[in-house]
Amino acid sequence: MYELALYITGETPRSQKVIRKLTELLENELPGQYSLKIIDVLAEPELAEADKVLATLTVIKTTPAPERRIVGDFSGAEKVLAGMQLQ
Amino acid sequence: MSKRILVIDDEEAIRKSFILALEGTEYQVETAESGEKGIEKVQNNKYDLVFLDLNMPGLNGVETLREIRARDNAVPIYIVTAFQAAFFDQLKRAALDGLSFEVIVKPISGHRIVVIAKGILEGSVVYRKG
Repeated sequence: MYELALYITGETPRSQKVIRKLTELLENELPGQYSLKIIDVLAEPELAEADKVLATLTVIKTTPAPERRIVGDFSGAEKVLAGMQLQ
Repeated sequence: MSKRILVIDDEEAIRKSFILALEGTEYQVETAESGEKGIEKVQNNKYDLVFLDLNMPGLNGVETLREIRARDNAVPIYIVTAFQAAFFDQLKRAALDGLSFEVIVKPISGHRIVVIAKGILEGSVVYRKG
């Protein structure tokens, strides 16, 4: 099971767009094999600090190892998949 | 055409650190030493990314954000701040007011500045924890 966490800054149109893109990508590549947690750093800044998040929008893949972190708008599915080692 | 980045921060050392970090890239970097100067620049130029300090004398980060958004609702704006609840109260109010922005942790190294800029301007970038 792939475990991922996406760090956003509130429910803005931009963050919603990224959530949609990322969810679509995961549904296509890993149907039923992932869990995606959405963390709003405005509501839980201590989580972002504890996880040493550099900036929003960051997604962290924690399992399976190795951990991978990617920041950006997640355009370019191939790049995201390769970066997260989801292929 | 080169992507244009605007750095708004009252501390000269911070502005210089951004310029130094990004000088090896193809990005065109401009700076402003106050919220007022930053707003003036946004009024007269088109930027692809804005880094904005949260705590500045005079017009603070949120007030500057509000004014920039009134002039440009699309440019990605990254507010530079420590991830501490005390600072986030004002950001929460900004978000509730419908202002869109992202946050980037302070302090930030030169390498990390480049990572973030590339991630925002070129799609996505992988980085390491630390």
